[in-house]
Amino acid sequence: MNSKSIKIAGAQGFYGDSPLAAIQIAKEKGADYLVIDSLAELTLSILQKDRLKDETLGYARDIESMAYTLFPIAFKNGLKIVTNSGGLNPEIAAKKVAALLEKQGIKGIKIAIITGDNLLPQLQEMQQSGLALENIDNGKPFSSSTFEITHANVYTGAHSIAEALDKGADLILAGRVADPCLTLGILIHHFKWRLTPSPSPLGEGSSDLSQNDLDRLASGIAVGHLLECGGQASGGNSYAEWPMDYSISNLGYPIAEVFEDGTAVFSKLESQGGKVSRNTIREQLIYEIHDPANYITPDVIVDFTGVKIEELSTNKVQFSGIKGKPRPEKLKLSIGQMEGYMSDQFFFFSWPYAYEKAIRFIETVKEIWATLPVKIERSEFSLVGINGIHGAAAPLPPKETLDEINEIGVRLAIKHNDLRTGKLCMQSVICLGLNGPPGLIGIPGWGKTDRIMLSLWPTLIPREWVKEKVEIIES
Amino acid sequence: MKKIKLIEIASARSGDKNDVCNIGLMARSPEFYAILKEKVTAEKVKEHFKDLIKGPIIRYEWEAIESLNFMCNQALDGGASRSLRMDTLGKNFSSHLLRMEVEIEN
Repeated sequence: MNSKSIKIAGAQGFYGDSPLAAIQIAKEKGADYLVIDSLAELTLSILQKDRLKDETLGYARDIESMAYTLFPIAFKNGLKIVTNSGGLNPEIAAKKVAALLEKQGIKGIKIAIITGDNLLPQLQEMQQSGLALENIDNGKPFSSSTFEITHANVYTGAHSIAEALDKGADLILAGRVADPCLTLGILIHHFKWRLTPSPSPLGEGSSDLSQNDLDRLASGIAVGHLLECGGQASGGNSYAEWPMDYSISNLGYPIAEVFEDGTAVFSKLESQGGKVSRNTIREQLIYEIHDPANYITPDVIVDFTGVKIEELSTNKVQFSGIKGKPRPEKLKLSIGQMEGYMSDQFFFFSWPYAYEKAIRFIETVKEIWATLPVKIERSEFSLVGINGIHGAAAPLPPKETLDEINEIGVRLAIKHNDLRTGKLCMQSVICLGLNGPPGLIGIPGWGKTDRIMLSLWPTLIPREWVKEKVEIIES
Repeated sequence: MKKIKLIEIASARSGDKNDVCNIGLMARSPEFYAILKEKVTAEKVKEHFKDLIKGPIIRYEWEAIESLNFMCNQALDGGASRSLRMDTLGKNFSSHLLRMEVEIEN
């Protein structure tokens, strides 16, 4: 057992996030580990779109630039990096990163590849074995779905991360390891916390873990949850701290110093902007949580209700009080489906009559589309500046305000099953620049008519279907 | 009695899990938490969001951080990957909830 505390930083909150905060943390040796969470729920759908175009893609591509900007300084200063950026293609991602490091003369870096979350090859077999793969949200069996399947990835736990670190990995490229389990895996490796492997050799439902073991695992998940969205825990996107009277152009990302008992102190680099307060930790804790007494992860069910968040000093927050319950018997599988396409386009009107012109424009668009030989599955019309974000819930301003309003945007969005429909619909309304309400503005290059619409089918499966694999390659 | 908007006594953050949007509503003080608990019911929130939230809303109380958490079902037009809305992830459900009015003692 290692009794020394350990520092883990949330280095990135999503695929495409800035690497600058993490680079500064690496430069100042502000942490022992960097956790890069690249996989929001939707991200696998986005990566699948890449892979449909090119089979050697399907991972979070910003690791290619980070192989130049972040990884060299991190490895030089002894930081290790744990990420699920491997997405749908961890093997290829690892080979590309290894090649990019070698190009810079960086050798001897151990890169772990974690696979086993891809269950697409087994999907048919699973159904044949009698699994209905019922949708968590609506209870329907998967057999009722008629769409083409694009991917099927199961959310896996911390075990493989800990195993890769035990084997000496400097960089871990995983697939669909659940976001907070990236952090938990580091803590299991470092503190030798006990975790039942998945599937359990004792049989699911029984466990040899004590309440203390469960509480530590749950605390590790809580820390991971607070780190996984980067700047959102350190003063970004904050109504609690609005008007955000600190620099946000160089927002520092959260750093957790974690102790053997699972308690942690959150902070950020002094050299960077942002803020770490009870408020910023509180607002990230509640983010994307359903029942705070039962936050379900592959490794433990977390009870956040007894949490204690105390400010120790400026930008230093003590975090404790997390309890654990035995893990769920099943794992969550997310099946991607190709549902068709969506198209959208923006137009604008200015004073006078901006509101009336926008309404008339929408009516006219509907009339034109009704005459086309196409099938529009769903549509959404909104007025940017009035109800673009909140739709029917947005209160309409009084008539005097609408009559005097400076500008209004119109957004048209449609769902359709073939590419032709999107092109035809958007092409058919351009004539309104000359034929329509006065002063129509359309911006060339805006809008898209060929966005692939992938949807997710979330379901639960028994653990025995999942066989994770940890493989190490060296640059 | 006077009417106030929730933004005067609370902050909020919202996010997505497929077609479910959760809105965390955090009181700016323990006294304000008592007001939230009494006034901001799941039914009131459902009414405030009109057609934007199609399914039931479950409210969780979270005393330790003076917060309520609203789990809104069928709230995101089928989920971010299917949605035709601009706010596909429901990030601004927080903003809209903060606009809700409640009546409090003077």
